[in-house]
Amino acid sequence: MALAAKGTSARPVGLGLLCRCAAMCVVLLVCASCSEQEPAVRVDLSKRQETAAPAPAVGITYAYLPQYSHTTSYQRHHLLVEYLAKATGLPIRQVFPNTFDEHMKMVAQGQIDISFTNPFVYIRLAKQGARCFARTIKSSGRGEFHSEIICRSDNRALKTLADCRGRRWIAVDPLSAGGYLFALAHFHDLGIERRDFAEIAFAPGPGGKQENVVLAVLAGKYDFGTIREGTLDLLKDRIDLDQIRILARTKAYPEWLFAARKGLDERIVTKIAQAMFALDAANPEHAAILEAAGLKSIIPAQDQDFDPVRQLVHKLELD
Amino acid sequence: MRLISRLKFQTKISVGTFLIVVAVALMTAVPVSRMASRAIIAESRGRGLALAENLSLRLADAMLTQDLLRMKTMVDELTAVGDDTVYAFVLDDTGAVLAHTFKKGFPVQLKAANAADGKGASVRLLDTGAELVYDFAVPVVISGRRFGTARLGLSRSRAEAEVNSLLFTFGGLSVAAMAAALLLSSMFARRVARRINLLKEYAQEVVRGNLDIETTSTLKRNCWEIMQCGRSQCPAYAMPRHRCWHMHGTLCPDCAPADGQVRKSCVRCPVFRANAGDEIQDLSETFGIMASTLKRQIGALGQQQQLMRTILDATPDLVCLLDAQGRFLAVNRAYAAFLGRGEAEIIGRTEADFFSPDESAERAAKNRAVLCSGMGKQAEIRVHTARGEQWFHEVNVPVRDAAGQAMGVLKTARDVTEVKSIEEKLLQSQKMESLGKLAGGVAHEINTPLGIILGYAQLLQDDVPEGGQISEDLRIIERQAKVCRKIVADLLGFSRQHESSMVPMDVNESVSDVVSLVRHTFGLEKVALELDLDEALPAIIGDREKMGQVWMNLLNNARDAMPGGGAIRIRTRRREAEGVLAVSVADSGTGISPAHLDKVFDPFFSTKGVGEGTGLGLSVSFGIVQNHGGTIEVQSPAPAEFRPGSADGLDSGKRPDGGNGPDGGNGPGRAGTVFHVLLPLSCPAPAPAAAPIFPV
Repeated sequence: MALAAKGTSARPVGLGLLCRCAAMCVVLLVCASCSEQEPAVRVDLSKRQETAAPAPAVGITYAYLPQYSHTTSYQRHHLLVEYLAKATGLPIRQVFPNTFDEHMKMVAQGQIDISFTNPFVYIRLAKQGARCFARTIKSSGRGEFHSEIICRSDNRALKTLADCRGRRWIAVDPLSAGGYLFALAHFHDLGIERRDFAEIAFAPGPGGKQENVVLAVLAGKYDFGTIREGTLDLLKDRIDLDQIRILARTKAYPEWLFAARKGLDERIVTKIAQAMFALDAANPEHAAILEAAGLKSIIPAQDQDFDPVRQLVHKLELD
Repeated sequence: MRLISRLKFQTKISVGTFLIVVAVALMTAVPVSRMASRAIIAESRGRGLALAENLSLRLADAMLTQDLLRMKTMVDELTAVGDDTVYAFVLDDTGAVLAHTFKKGFPVQLKAANAADGKGASVRLLDTGAELVYDFAVPVVISGRRFGTARLGLSRSRAEAEVNSLLFTFGGLSVAAMAAALLLSSMFARRVARRINLLKEYAQEVVRGNLDIETTSTLKRNCWEIMQCGRSQCPAYAMPRHRCWHMHGTLCPDCAPADGQVRKSCVRCPVFRANAGDEIQDLSETFGIMASTLKRQIGALGQQQQLMRTILDATPDLVCLLDAQGRFLAVNRAYAAFLGRGEAEIIGRTEADFFSPDESAERAAKNRAVLCSGMGKQAEIRVHTARGEQWFHEVNVPVRDAAGQAMGVLKTARDVTEVKSIEEKLLQSQKMESLGKLAGGVAHEINTPLGIILGYAQLLQDDVPEGGQISEDLRIIERQAKVCRKIVADLLGFSRQHESSMVPMDVNESVSDVVSLVRHTFGLEKVALELDLDEALPAIIGDREKMGQVWMNLLNNARDAMPGGGAIRIRTRRREAEGVLAVSVADSGTGISPAHLDKVFDPFFSTKGVGEGTGLGLSVSFGIVQNHGGTIEVQSPAPAEFRPGSADGLDSGKRPDGGNGPDGGNGPGRAGTVFHVLLPLSCPAPAPAAAPIFPV
């Protein structure tokens, strides 16, 4: 009897629970059917018009020899370009050639008025009529720079430069001073010629060629590489520099310089040169410009300042 | 609700399981679908934002060099890679379109539909009429300077189509799962319901009284086979349908004492692991054991009930059980016989239905007293029945329930009528003993002065002339004094034992001597004497003189019973079976009334007139016979074979002279009375003189 009573009393409870479950399901389904509506902006894509590329800007063109990526070149020198434009009142703008060759061609063709270039490229530009009017003093205070021969830290086969014989070499560019020529001269002085290497490759462009050398060595694609000094600092936040070992440093040569193309108005060159020479690290505004460019100051320069490089070219029979 | 309650158990399980699966599927599918939809949309937005930001970053160099071809290539690659990419285009810092993916012109309204304010990305939902598009606008910034904007259009409708496809797949899977659940639940319900229905059939069999049910199947391997115990005396041995863990008193050394549940040690037992089933199997097995246990208990209970019934019916006591309202719950056979009814007629009725109003009221009051006090009571009651007055020793005790409350009265009554009679006789005997002592003392005190009176009376007769008045008076004194002396002598004989001389004696001779002595006198009183003597009687050890007194007393008593004359028959026989020698003295008198039969051996009991007898003769005879280790009995009317004149062994030659039978109403053939003196064939030595022996 007790069991029967229990069963009788439990029946409505079970049904009630069933009804509540069903109600919950229905509510859930109703809620599911009502999804929130995100507001949309009505746009009629049928109304069209043809677009035209904006006309190229006019003015004095300034170019950084593309040893680094365009963005790096811009980051380093756009303040300087803006300063020069403001200081001289000239419409100076920065342009970005993709390769060393393109840079030289643009200088030769008058598409680049002011070229910030290495000494080796300048020697070639000078042959086309370009002339230097200023050179740089780096943040370290030195007016010269050298090349660094690097390999992987764990590469135990390379202990001296003599071990580089028969190895694969990646350099920045055939026209790169710090990234190729200084090291080539260094090897030459040690009796190691180009034919003694298993391979000499150059970093792909455009831009960022110094960084590419470091990355190629780090990846183990080449046994060693050559870069200009300061390149590793650019990558210190992107790679583990402990994985890179500097095998040797070359002899130092004069730093980069500013050259004006053949035929550029001398008054313009003078204005620009004076504005450059006016940069003072003590001036906070100038200091920001110099710091971005990695420079301490810009000093006047003459063509014969780069004769050591001409001698190097001659020695390597590159002329 | 009633419809659901009427559904079969199998249907309930199937439907219930199906509904649960449906509910769970719905409750799971809906939020999961929503979450999946949101996740897909969010992922789509995230992917679009990543593409737009990637485009913005890759555009940096191209923007610096104003390489429109590279820009065009980049935006075209986006539309080529992703099906959901509707468009992509690049604006410079002046808002001019540098590159785009549209054919035949650029949509005019699209440029202003979204704008990346500041340096952060902007996402906006656009409705093109044909579809919904997420528009991503990411500024191209180099060294803090904004060079332009990368714009990307990603179709939300296509992402939603993917969501719908996913939901459709999910829904299809849910439906398939529900169908499978319905099928499996039906199979499961059928299996469970089949076993429960089987249990129901077993229960119905039990209700119908059939306890010989087998609820379990035999096992592939039984416990004694698994354990190889060989303990044939174990209750689980050779019981293939009973699982040993359900049984008590198993002898397996690994078994712990049963605790009502499955023993803990069983869980590790190989027998349990090999043969244990689910709860329904346990229920089925337990049910089977319960049925067999019930059958065994019912059998034992029946035997016990029969035993109790036999005990109750065998006892001569009257036993009945009454409930608190006085209704008979049970009676034994003696009680039913006492009421003269069948047991079935009595059960359920009250005492008022069988007893008089006064008696039933008295009984009800006693019952109430027992119930109220909770104490048992006993008493001796007198009941008038068809057999006359009967005495019962009645004991009434309360019967208590489990709570200790009196719920009825158990009444037992024992017939003590005979005991009461014996008690009365004992009381009479004690009275007579006292009387005998008193009489003996008085006789002793009177004997001496009586002897003096008799002596002086005789002496004085010598001193006075014979024939004179004085002499005549003295003779009267002498004669009455002798009467007194006779009375005193009888009193003394009654009150104390004299010295006996126990010698071998011939009973026939003793009887014949006495008969010879009284034959003449009895003949004068027209009393004939018949002798029927067994010649082969052995001698017994006895006192000739006292036994002669016994015969004399019995003959005188017989003569006195026939005042008008009659016949006396004396018969001696040897009763070999009883080991006694019987001397029967029968008269042809009027006999003794039944009311007097028990008193004839009492001292001073006499039906004769005053002065005709002392009432001590039979009492003295009783004492003498008892002193000889025998007994004396009386029968009235006398059986035919003992009566005077009967053909059985009548020795006519020994009849007294001229004694052809009494002439009067007391002749032979009348019922009369017969006294049997039974003496042991080897008579024991007489008991020393002690307290007088009185008949009981």
